[in-house]
Amino acid sequence: MMALRLGAILFGAALFLALPTVSDQGIVFLAGLVVIEAIFALSWNLLFGFTGLASFGHAAFFAIGAYLTGYGLKAGLGVPFLGLIAASGLLGALVAALTGLVLLRRTTGIHLAIFTLALAEVLRIVIGYSTLLGREDGLASIPKPTLELGFATIPLTSGTAYYYFMCVAGLVIGAVLWVVCHGPYGRLLVSIRQDPQRVAFLGVNVGRKRLQAFILSGAVAAIAGALYAPWAQIVTPESAHWIHSTQPMLASLLGGAHSFWGPVVGTVLFSIINYLTRNLVGLSELVIGATLLIIVLAAPSGVIGLVRTAQQRWSRRRKSGAGPDGDEGGSVRS
Amino acid sequence: MTAILSVEGVDKSYGTHHILKSVSLTVEDGETFAVIGPNGAGKTTLFKVMTGEIGFERGRIVYDGRDVSRAPAHERARLGMGRTFQVARIFPDVTVADNLTVAVEARRRSRGESAPAWYRVATRADIRAEVEARLLDVGLADKAAVEAKFLSHGDKKRLEFGIALAGRPRILMLDEPTAGMSPTDRIATADLIARLRAETGLTVVMTEHDMDVIFGLADRILVMNYGEIIAVGSIEEVRANPLVREVYLGQEIYHAER
Repeated sequence: MMALRLGAILFGAALFLALPTVSDQGIVFLAGLVVIEAIFALSWNLLFGFTGLASFGHAAFFAIGAYLTGYGLKAGLGVPFLGLIAASGLLGALVAALTGLVLLRRTTGIHLAIFTLALAEVLRIVIGYSTLLGREDGLASIPKPTLELGFATIPLTSGTAYYYFMCVAGLVIGAVLWVVCHGPYGRLLVSIRQDPQRVAFLGVNVGRKRLQAFILSGAVAAIAGALYAPWAQIVTPESAHWIHSTQPMLASLLGGAHSFWGPVVGTVLFSIINYLTRNLVGLSELVIGATLLIIVLAAPSGVIGLVRTAQQRWSRRRKSGAGPDGDEGGSVRS
Repeated sequence: MTAILSVEGVDKSYGTHHILKSVSLTVEDGETFAVIGPNGAGKTTLFKVMTGEIGFERGRIVYDGRDVSRAPAHERARLGMGRTFQVARIFPDVTVADNLTVAVEARRRSRGESAPAWYRVATRADIRAEVEARLLDVGLADKAAVEAKFLSHGDKKRLEFGIALAGRPRILMLDEPTAGMSPTDRIATADLIARLRAETGLTVVMTEHDMDVIFGLADRILVMNYGEIIAVGSIEEVRANPLVREVYLGQEIYHAER
């Protein structure tokens, strides 16, 4: 199980890193979007799959990061790129803290979902009226940045260089989130998802933990947006649209929301389906809809859950000759 | 004896339903205090009020010399109140051991004891040792790796008991600890409570329908009916009370053997 997982991660990473040498720019561009959307989906699932909170307006955080970084690069403010990414994360965290303080006080579940959806739509409309942010047209021709590390200056002005930067950023963010989710903090969040009241009687301030998770999730979503701005080189109010908010949800459901890597697997699968059906107008929606239906009906724990079940069945069959089965079933988080 | 918990003139209504009518009681440090009464007497509401699960209109709750009337559940837990629920509440999607690990870590963090940092992915050895000890306490050591949802009803109750114990409470509130258990499990649970009480000097407050369990464990009994206290005292005093006789007429309280 462990070896399989590690192998899959290494294989995936190698594939992404080798892509610019073997395929054309169009595919590399899509792969870059996959990295960004995967980070975005991980941030959403930290709330949904781990803490048990559903945000239906998560694209708002993404847009906050994308606009801040996009504006900073376009206006040539002279702020280093890493500074802009950090500022995006901080702004995302700040907005999450302010909205979370109000929303999480009373609402969880469906009310939280609708409130976040409404707030995100408000943000999108406000951006559409803001001349500074280019109104409905958004910010176009955003330049790719130069990375200044103090001891070295790395130009990310070429597509390939920026792509590699995103891969590294994705790995770092993924690793940090993995540790957060698998350590004592993640264990607590998973417990809150399962029974918040029981957790309160363990002496934990559940409201505060939920707010922390909301802030962390908002910050990571904003960082995903910050990475997006120079990659797409254009940011429009569409990035805050509710349709964009559904992306991480669909990816998490497809991949498996109760597994850490589920959202990443889901994002990759969605992009592959989209790419394969790109010439058939309307078919991609049909295929995605059908896939989701099958997944929800046949495998509620997503593709990862399906793989895990198959794996367990296989190992049980292999062990059955040797003696009683010692495998008690996998843990929820992987 | 000193009072560890006192309820002073508490009123609680749900809408127009007056559930608790000026209820007052005192639990002494180290005793086992049982609350009994017919269904709908307000036992569970009293429990919820004492643990901080719900608020109340009038009166005061004092724990260990401190007014905790307005303190939320997690603060009372930090002060040393532990509880179990009528229907066992555990974390079904994770293993039995993880259920206890999260409880141990939560207690250590909230009481300022040594707790692992967020980046410690592997469970620390001292925490694993403590979890093992709790598993042995409640007799679930052989099921440590089982996902909690696959446990039997009685084992879930025991696991919840372990979760409450992992909080190292000074006072443990048990809402029908043996409800829905087989007779063997009931005896085992009663023995477990008696043993832990003897080992740690734990104060226990419990509601229970099984009179054998009550008579076997309780130092004092409080009888409720329609939101009012009709009797408090030792088993003999309560049995001799004419009002209790009326409420429990012909019921098991007079048939149960000591």
